Amino acid sequence: MKKKLSILLAGIMMLTLTACGGGSEASGDKYVFLDEDLGVESYAIGFRIGDDDLMEQVNGAVKALVKNGTYEKIGENYPDIKDYLCLKAEDIKDDEIAEEGSGDSGYTFKHGFDLDYPPYSYLQDDGSVGGFDVEMAQAVCDYLGWGYEAVPFNWDAKDAELNAGSCDCIWSGFTKEGREDDYTWGITYSNNTQGILVAADSGIKTLADLKGKVVGVQTATSAADMLEDSQKELADTFADLKVYETYTIAFNDLKAGAIDAIAIDMTAGAFLIAGEE
Amino acid sequence: MALSTMLSTMGEGALRTCGIFFLTLLFSLPLGMVVMLLRKSRFKIVQWIMKIYIAVMRGTPLMLQLLVWYFGPYYLFGANIRGYRFTAIIIGFAMNYAAYFAEIYRGGFEAIPVGQYEAAEVLGYNRTQTFFMIILPQVVKTILPSVTNEIITLVKDTSLAFTLAYNEIFSLAKQIAASQTSFTPFVIAGVFYFVANYAVAFVMERIEKAFDYYK
Repeated sequence: MKKKLSILLAGIMMLTLTACGGGSEASGDKYVFLDEDLGVESYAIGFRIGDDDLMEQVNGAVKALVKNGTYEKIGENYPDIKDYLCLKAEDIKDDEIAEEGSGDSGYTFKHGFDLDYPPYSYLQDDGSVGGFDVEMAQAVCDYLGWGYEAVPFNWDAKDAELNAGSCDCIWSGFTKEGREDDYTWGITYSNNTQGILVAADSGIKTLADLKGKVVGVQTATSAADMLEDSQKELADTFADLKVYETYTIAFNDLKAGAIDAIAIDMTAGAFLIAGEE
Repeated sequence: MALSTMLSTMGEGALRTCGIFFLTLLFSLPLGMVVMLLRKSRFKIVQWIMKIYIAVMRGTPLMLQLLVWYFGPYYLFGANIRGYRFTAIIIGFAMNYAAYFAEIYRGGFEAIPVGQYEAAEVLGYNRTQTFFMIILPQVVKTILPSVTNEIITLVKDTSLAFTLAYNEIFSLAKQIAASQTSFTPFVIAGVFYFVANYAVAFVMERIEKAFDYYK
C-alpha cells in the first residue's frame, strides 16, 4: 500500500515534469516575431582589457578558418544562425591569417561561455557541450595547436570569471554594443537582431501594441540592456518587465499565457520556436 | 548608476524579500504543526501520506518545487496562471518549510518523557489541558534553537524566488552587477542578509530567554 502510494506520487511529479517537454500541439507559426525589431547588434569575442596578443592570435585563427571554409561548414550545423554569420572568405587577406600551430604548444585556451544560450553554446542532445561558438573555439584551438578547455559559467558572473582568470575570454553570443570599453574585443563573427516574440494569436502586431503588456527578458542579456537603455521609452510603456534567470522559463511563461511577449535576439528566439514544432 | 539609485532599487528588492520571508513564516509555522499532528495520527493511511509529503518536500530541490507549483496548474490542467506568480512562490516556500518544521516539532514532542503525561493524568488534567499547559511550553523551549536555524536558512533561501522571475534583492543584485560590471551590488546584498539574520538571531535569543524560566 505504502509502496503503491509513493509510486503514484512519484508518477504525478514525473508527469508534471515531462509535460513541460511535450505539452503543446503546436503548428509552426504558433509564436512569431514582430516585424519591427529593437535593433541590430554584433557578436564578438570579449577578452580581458590588455590581452591584445591573445586577441590577435584568436582573430588570426578565426580568419584562417573563414578562409579555409571551416567557419561556413560549422555554420551548416546551425541553420537558425546561418544567415547571420557575417564573415566572408573573399574579404580575408592572406596576411591577416594566423600561422597554423604545430602539434602541442602546451597552452590550454579556456573558453568561457553560458551553457544556456542556444544555438551559440548549449548542451547537445547527447549531453555534450556544443553550439556554434563552442565548435568554433575548438576549431581555433585545433588550428593553433592549443589545448581546449570548456568553462561554462553563470552568465551573471561572467565578469568575475573573466577577471579572476578562470577563463580567457567570453565567447557565447556576446554582444559588443554598449560594452565597447569594457573588454578587448576580438573579431565580430555574427550579427543578430533583437526582436519581440509573441504568440501568433495574441493580437500584438507592432511595438506600440505592447503598451500595457507584460514582457519577459533574460537577465544580463543585450535585450535586457536595450530595454534599460536605447529602448527605455518603449519599456516604460509596458505594464511590467519581468526579468528571468533563463529564456527557457520565460518561454514557459509565454506558453502558459502569464506574460504577453519576450524580448530576445532572433536566433535564440528561432531556437525556442523550433523546439515547439 | 549612482550608489543612491542602486540602494533604492535594491531597497525595493529587500522589501520583496521580507514579504516572502514573513508570509512564509506566517503559513509554514502553523502548517508544520498540522503536518506533525497528522504525522502522529492514529490512522496509518494519514501517517503514510504525511511521511510521503515530508519525504518529497525534503528530498527534492526547492527550486524544482517552485517550478512545479507555478507551472504545474498550467501543464496539468491548462489553467491560466497569470497573476499567480507570487502566490505560487508563497505556496512553494510554505509547503517546503512546513515539512522541516513538522520534523522539528516532532523531535520536540518525542523528547517529552511519558511520565509527564501520566503525572498530568494523575493530577486530573484532561488531554487538552495536558497538551497546552504541560507539554507545549516544554516543547517550544527545546525546539527554539532548531527553529532559529531554519528561519535563518529561510532568509537566504528567499533568493530562489528568482527562478520564477520575482525580483527579490539577490536577483536585483545580479542584474545590476551584470549591467554595471560592478561588484558593489553583491556587497550590498551581503550586508542586507547579514543584518537581517543578525536581527533574526537577536529576536530568537530574546524569545529563548523568555522561556528560560527554570534557572
